[in-house]
Amino acid sequence: MNIFAKKQPDTPKSQAELIYDAFQRKERQFRGNVALSWIFLLLFLVFLFSGQELTIGGITFSTIKIDRTFIGENMVFIAGGLAETIKISLLSITLATILALLAALGRLSTVPPIYALSTFYVSLIRGTPLYLQIFFFFLALPQLGIVLPGLWAGVIALGLNYGAYMSEIFRAGLSSVGKGQREAAMAIGMTPGQTMLRIVLPQALRFAIPPTGNEFIAMTKDSALVAATGFVHELMWRATKVGRAQFHNLEALIMAAIFYWVMTLLLTAIQSRVENRLSKGDR
Amino acid sequence: MVPIVNISNLDKYFGRLHVLKNISLDVAPREVVCIIGRSGSGKSTLLRCINFLEEPSAGVIEVDGVKVEGGEKGREHRQLVHDIRLKTGMVFQEFNLFPHMSVLDNVIEGPVTVKGMDRTKARELGEMNLDRVGMLFKKDEYPNRLSGGQKQRVAIARALTMEPRVMLFDEPTSALDPELIGEVLNVMKKVAQEGMTMLVVTHEMGFAREVADRVLVMADGEIIEDRTPTDLFASPKDPRTQALIDRYRSGGG
Ligand SMILES: Nc1ncnc2c1ncn2[C@@H]1O[C@H](COP(=O)(O)OP(=O)(O)OP(=O)(O)O)[C@@H](O)[C@H]1O
Ligand SMILES: [Mg+2]
Repeated sequence: MNIFAKKQPDTPKSQAELIYDAFQRKERQFRGNVALSWIFLLLFLVFLFSGQELTIGGITFSTIKIDRTFIGENMVFIAGGLAETIKISLLSITLATILALLAALGRLSTVPPIYALSTFYVSLIRGTPLYLQIFFFFLALPQLGIVLPGLWAGVIALGLNYGAYMSEIFRAGLSSVGKGQREAAMAIGMTPGQTMLRIVLPQALRFAIPPTGNEFIAMTKDSALVAATGFVHELMWRATKVGRAQFHNLEALIMAAIFYWVMTLLLTAIQSRVENRLSKGDR
Repeated sequence: MVPIVNISNLDKYFGRLHVLKNISLDVAPREVVCIIGRSGSGKSTLLRCINFLEEPSAGVIEVDGVKVEGGEKGREHRQLVHDIRLKTGMVFQEFNLFPHMSVLDNVIEGPVTVKGMDRTKARELGEMNLDRVGMLFKKDEYPNRLSGGQKQRVAIARALTMEPRVMLFDEPTSALDPELIGEVLNVMKKVAQEGMTMLVVTHEMGFAREVADRVLVMADGEIIEDRTPTDLFASPKDPRTQALIDRYRSGGG
């Protein structure tokens, strides 16, 4: 009895628990090592651009020298493009989402012209380069007497382009909602419109949120293409402007790259939180 | 007595496949009719033609005075189909609860969206019906947190909250683990005892024997027997019925 009581406090772990613990430890260890390696790579990159000279075994190496004064002087100017980049991305993704949804619904239509319009749009946009489409709105339209403000030309070009690609996401979202859902809605007397709005779309949109996040992140970077037209003063435009003017393209582009990268990291972090929330939610 | 459901000369084709062959059937108010038959015999299609989830190819469906001809089109027809759907409630094998809504919201979606009922009033009605099926305690839960049996009970409450005159059940317990079948059958039995007219496609012979007033046997798109359960199980007329009963006895589907 006595011996028994002594053993009781820490019950020995079962085989399965031990294996699971070991697995978890390994997993943690792996993630820790990856994080360390990341930090090392980052430091190495910083070192590579630190402009230092060092002698190893009689040979002198020098790392890349960048002009810190230039960076200091132009930081504010380039950073000023962030707001424009974010603005153009937000407006474009909004337009793209609406177009994608309409195109996806069009693909479900049994009315030939509507179905055709949807497939025609997607085919035309996917069949031509984004770069061309952007220039079309900035350069070709003015020839017809249509001059759009720079920002809006960019938003329309990016929105049209991403809308065509994102229509696939919404199509998948709509078809992820089973036939049984529609039938249950119809059985309680809901009209096709009510069924779409109250039952199918909410489920399809929830399905579409994570991939739409991916598209948004991609778009923040593709918005840089708009700089080529010279009319939208976002990150990339500002970086190339000061870079070219003072022949400090290296520094300017590195700065822009850091801004894009940090922005992407932040957006990715936000996205994975949203995704976690959704997957935990009430599906 | 005036039948509450009247089906006359119902035909249904899927392409060239003749699935329902000139079916006529009357169901009296408060009657419970069980439908049995082999897979593919047309049981689901018959049920789904009653609320026009499948459009009949020909024939007339009448439920509680709403008379709809099959194979018609146009606004007037759509309105009649809508009316007949309000007269009928349906329970599916796969529950088909709306996953993005809480249990209570599932139940009041119909009254609020379709009937334009005031939310407070709909909630009262919904809670009453959830209580009827013993699911009121889960009203704020989401469907993915319920067991299969609980989901099906909520689905029954959702149909009941529309206050239909006739309930259609299409194999309501076939997707359930055996230990969960009882709770759903008990709820159905209770609904039957409260006087609901019911058409039930089922493999549960015990339920048919105990609750049904009539059992229909379907084969190849026709009703080959239509008798009281006692009669049917004691002396099947058609050899196909005997085979079917034997199969259910041995636990086959
Ligand atoms: N939407 C459809 N399109 C084409 N054929 C169909 C469709 N629905 C059902 N059928 C066919 O109609 C016949 C009857 O099907 P039904 O679902 O009514 O049978 P059932 O008696 O309910 O069978 P089960 O016991 O398997 O549910 C089957 O041959 C089936 O393949
Ligand atoms: Mg069936």
